[in-house]
Amino acid sequence: MHEHQTFAEDVAELALEQYADKTIDRRTLVKALGMLGLAPVFFKSGAAFGQVKELVVVNWGGPAIKAYQNAFGKPFEKKTGIKIVIDGTGPGAGKVRAMVDAKNVTWDVLDAGVGTALLLGSKGYLEAIDYNIVDKSKVRPEFVYKWGISDYLFSFVLTYDGKKLGDRKPTSWKDFWNVKDFPGKRLLRKNPIGQLECALLGDGVPHDKVYPIDLDRALEKIREIKEHTVFWGSGSQSQQFFMQGEVVMGNLWHNRSNLLRRDTKDRIQWTWTDGIVASGVWSVVKNNPGGKDAAMKFIDFAIGDVDGQIALFKVMSSGPANPKATAMVPADMRAYDPSQPENYNKQVKFDAEWWGKNEIEAFERYRDVISS
Amino acid sequence: MNAGFRERQAYWLLIAPAFALMLFFYLLPLVQLLWISVTEPAPGLGNYKSVIASAPIRRIVWTTLRVCIETTGPTVILGYLIAYAMVHVNRGQFAWMMLCVMLSFWVSVLVRAFSWLVMLNTNGVVNTFLISTGLAAEPLSLAYNETGVVISIVHFMLPFAVLPIYANMAGIDKIYVAAARGLGASPWQAFWRVYFPLSAPGIVGASVLVFVFSLGFFVTPAIMGGGKVVMLAEYISVQIQDLLRWGLAATLAALLLIGVFAILAIMSRFIDLRMLFGAK
Repeated sequence: MHEHQTFAEDVAELALEQYADKTIDRRTLVKALGMLGLAPVFFKSGAAFGQVKELVVVNWGGPAIKAYQNAFGKPFEKKTGIKIVIDGTGPGAGKVRAMVDAKNVTWDVLDAGVGTALLLGSKGYLEAIDYNIVDKSKVRPEFVYKWGISDYLFSFVLTYDGKKLGDRKPTSWKDFWNVKDFPGKRLLRKNPIGQLECALLGDGVPHDKVYPIDLDRALEKIREIKEHTVFWGSGSQSQQFFMQGEVVMGNLWHNRSNLLRRDTKDRIQWTWTDGIVASGVWSVVKNNPGGKDAAMKFIDFAIGDVDGQIALFKVMSSGPANPKATAMVPADMRAYDPSQPENYNKQVKFDAEWWGKNEIEAFERYRDVISS
Repeated sequence: MNAGFRERQAYWLLIAPAFALMLFFYLLPLVQLLWISVTEPAPGLGNYKSVIASAPIRRIVWTTLRVCIETTGPTVILGYLIAYAMVHVNRGQFAWMMLCVMLSFWVSVLVRAFSWLVMLNTNGVVNTFLISTGLAAEPLSLAYNETGVVISIVHFMLPFAVLPIYANMAGIDKIYVAAARGLGASPWQAFWRVYFPLSAPGIVGASVLVFVFSLGFFVTPAIMGGGKVVMLAEYISVQIQDLLRWGLAATLAALLLIGVFAILAIMSRFIDLRMLFGAK
């Protein structure tokens, strides 16, 4: 079991569940999952990459990989001569390191969490994104990094059970720490990313002062709420805590909050206010077998594929990375999209630079606080 | 060269492939692991020093030992009762009991952890029952804490206690108890002064087995602990998969391994380990 699920892994899991439930059709599934890691790469000329026979794109796809390889990989191969191999193992940091160390790299492109990408990149396990090939103006400048570039947006949002809390609805993280007026168990994540931020917001720190994170202050705030709190590891687990009625308030990925809202007919809701909006990233493994340039071309295509990003959002609530796609989201679905300006502007923008420098210390100390 | 010697040689040849396989796929990676622990990030014993100096790691080690002790006690007591019943029932009943013990052996640890979650959560089967019958006024905190972790591990480890204790008890001649009774001992005296000492090796063996197995538990605390019960295996996995601190992870794994061997070495003075692991 992988203990620290990434957002991408969670999204893939959900898509498969929905497909099984028949709430989405196969074409939409293929398209959306394609966006997670297999968006079509239409190379201008196959000859330019004459040496490239295949690209391995790694996501958290799961058992349905084979089904969309048939529906998607094969047509692509026909078009460009380059085979797309989909590997659903999941681009965990440890696995990438193991293959690079062993000089046996079999993966090309990763759909990675930004923390994973920064850690791997800083230790030399990734190729830097080549911005001569990848047009970074296709995505928001906040989420352009040396070791990866935005593939879709997601948020950590304050989610609550409206029925259990009665008439008073929490409106900010300050209410999350107010156990007197809002009694009941809380839910936070085992991993400190997105949690230390909400602790500071709950302590009255304004949006623009959240970073650099004051670790001592944030952890003190976590310690204060710990006895009223349980901690989730995977997205499905966070949903389960709410469905079991175990908690009244939590810090969840917005896609899970949106599912809870839908499944409980609005009993469980969330607010974009004080959310923390972050981005998953496309990254390329060091010395990837398909060659750096082909992998970069793939990424450049994916971040420009507006229709694909909208399809992805419709199925999995993942916010489009490309602002052009954001503008084309149907009006009735905008309330659930973290990338819409009216939602986006209410949130704190995730600072990957701070996390890149402090992840290990934050991780160690956070886990120590919650488990002791 | 006598025939006995040649025969022994032939036996060694027969196990050679299995031995080579173990060497290559088990011992070699193990050596690699030890190697990483003294070479990364810098050569030397730095990792071992920082593990010993780290207060958070000490807390995790303590949590791990505490959970294992809390698990071993109830598991062995329950296992003893079940095994005791198994040696005293008729053949048909015995077959059913053995089947039940083995069945739980075959259900995946993940499925069992989730089943316990359904049973023990705030609105779960157990709490619903306790509240509806008036046995409890408030739901008890049975899941997402150490209590839940221990209950779940005890259930998982039960066959590991039942089987060695049963194997031991099956070898105790019932005539001893009968003789004690014949010489005037009360049922309790016959059990406590004759049967129980004879069954002690089974108890010790089961305790070692359960304790050692519990040290490596990963899935159960991760699911049942609600994030608040972090045991060594989970911590090691996070260091390898998420934080890329392989030197630290290898050190902890090596220490765990050394600890297990030390326990087994000490216990081997008191019990026959070959019997415990089914080699005899």
